[in-house]
Formats: sequence, C-alpha cells, structure tokens
Amino acid sequence: MNGQNEENLKKLFEKFYPAEQAQRAVEDVQKAEQLLRKHPAPEPDDMLIANIKAEIAMRLPLRRADVFRRLAYKVATVAAAVIIVTAISVSLFEKGDRSEKVVYASIIPRAIWESDNIAADDVDLAILTAEMEQIEDEVLALQWGENGGDGDTAVTELEMELIEIDSDFWKG
Amino acid sequence: MTKNDDLAQIIIGCKNGDSECFSQAVDMYASRCYGYFYRLTGNKDVSDELLSTLFVKLVEKIGSYRGGSFESWLFRIASNIFHDYLRSKQRRRKLFDERKKQLELEVTEPKYTDSERIDKLQVQLHKLDADTRELIMLRFYSQASFKEIAKMRSEPIGTTLSKLHRGLKKLRELME
Repeated sequence: MNGQNEENLKKLFEKFYPAEQAQRAVEDVQKAEQLLRKHPAPEPDDMLIANIKAEIAMRLPLRRADVFRRLAYKVATVAAAVIIVTAISVSLFEKGDRSEKVVYASIIPRAIWESDNIAADDVDLAILTAEMEQIEDEVLALQWGENGGDGDTAVTELEMELIEIDSDFWKG
Repeated sequence: MTKNDDLAQIIIGCKNGDSECFSQAVDMYASRCYGYFYRLTGNKDVSDELLSTLFVKLVEKIGSYRGGSFESWLFRIASNIFHDYLRSKQRRRKLFDERKKQLELEVTEPKYTDSERIDKLQVQLHKLDADTRELIMLRFYSQASFKEIAKMRSEPIGTTLSKLHRGLKKLRELME
C-alpha cells in the first residue's frame, strides 16, 4: 500500500524533463529526503498515545450506537419503499384486471331516460308496463301448459314480441 | 502474512469497531502523523492536539474508507485537520488584533523550547512557503506516490513534481 515503493521516479521525471535534467531532479529529491531522514521529528509522548487509545475506546460504543441507528433508518427506509412499491403495483394490477362494466337500468329503455317529454314518457311507460304484464302472463301460461301445448309457436311469438319491444317500438 | 495483509486485517477490524485494531492503527501511524503535524506547526502542544483529533476522526470516518491507499486516505484527513487548524488560527488572529504583530512573528518564526531549538531543519522548513512545506511533509510522512499526492491536492502531477523538486532543492540549499 506504500505508493512510493512502487513508483519509478526517473521514469516519472522523464515525462516532464529532458533525460539529463530528470536524472538531476531525481538526485535532488533523494538527497533532500535523506536530509529529512537525518533530522527526524520528535516522537509523540507515550502518555499522548495512551490517551488517544483511551479516547478511542470511549468513543467506540457511541460509534456502534450510531452505526446501529443508521442501519435501523436504512432498514426502515427500504421497508417503507417496498411497501409503497407493492401497494402501487397491486393497485395498478387490479386496475388493469378490472373491466369497467356500466350497468344500465335495463328494464326501462334508454330512449325514455334520454327523453325530456314527460307526458309522452308516461304514456310509453304505461304501455311498457302493460306489455311486461302480458309477457309475464304468457310465460306463466307456457310454464303451466295452459296455451294448448303448442310450445314452439308460443315461444316464437314471444320472441317476436321481445324483438319488437327491443327495436322499433321504443325508438319513436 | 505481509505488511499489506496485516494492514488490511487491521482496517477490517477497525470497520467492525474492534478497539484492539484501532490501537494497532495508532501504533502504526502515530509517529508519522505526529511528525507531519509537528513539522508543519513547529509546536508540540498543537501537534498533540491535532494527532488526537486525527484518530478521533479515524474512528468516525473509517466506515467511509473504500479501499485504495490507506496512507493517502489517512493523510488527506490529516491535511484537512491541519487546514482547519490554520483557519481557526486565522480567526483567532482577527479576534486578537492587538496581538497581531506577536502572532505573525509566531507564524513566520515559531518559538522553540531548548530541545526544539537544536532542530535546524524545523527552522529552515519555515523559510519555505506554506504550500511547499506542506507538500514536502505530505510526501515524506505519508510515503504516498506523486500520483497519489497530486490526486490528494487536486492538481496535475507535473505541478506536484516541479513544486516538490523546487522545494526540496531550496531546503537543501538552506540546510547547507
């Protein structure tokens, strides 16, 4: 990990100076560094080192608590993010899956809902009610076999009546 | 096990909050870091304080060490601490304006105790400009390569090389 041991000073200086000048620069640096080694700085007192170690030992539990607190915050943040993303994904998935179904008031024809003519609508509703009652009677008669047993004809007639109601009658 | 492996183990221990590993880191680097501070400040008390601050910072910041040269990383913190000290000193200087001359004298020519007076190198070092002095000390005590020092100082490697070469040459002349 000591970078100085790995570097080639001469090569480095030669990138910036001519070869001869680079050689002199390397010698200058090496001699000056020898000079620095000859005049070592004072060493730190043993007492100072002991105090530093004691202070480190005192601070470590605080650091651990700090690390734990940061970790807890990180976990809480990640958990919150996961919950939010899951909730959004589920809601999007449900929205995509759900087909919008509009339920109309199927018995009363749309023409009446959309009409502003109340008097005419009342008449139409009265006719509709009468038609419905008639159909109900016919259906019951069919169920009980009261119409003489010609089921096919009766069903065909009923179907024709229903088609008529559904198409032409209520449009005008 | 090589020295680098030992250091890697110590760093892992420090990251895990092992006080024994921090103690080993202190033993490994206290001398060099103290020398760095002492040569820059010329004052034992200040160097004591800065060294303590450095190792407290080490405890706080070890989690942010992401590999690479540990020495470069540690000395970058040391350099920041020294600059903080200089800034606080300048603030103090402004506050105690009446002592301006006296303090300026301390900056250009530090006061030495008897044991410190014999340190000729310290005296000559303070004849260099502050930036060159710091560069020389960074190179000598961190033992980082020029490439690492240039990166630490955010300047081109050519600039670092020529500044250091000029500074060391001048220091040699002053010492002769």
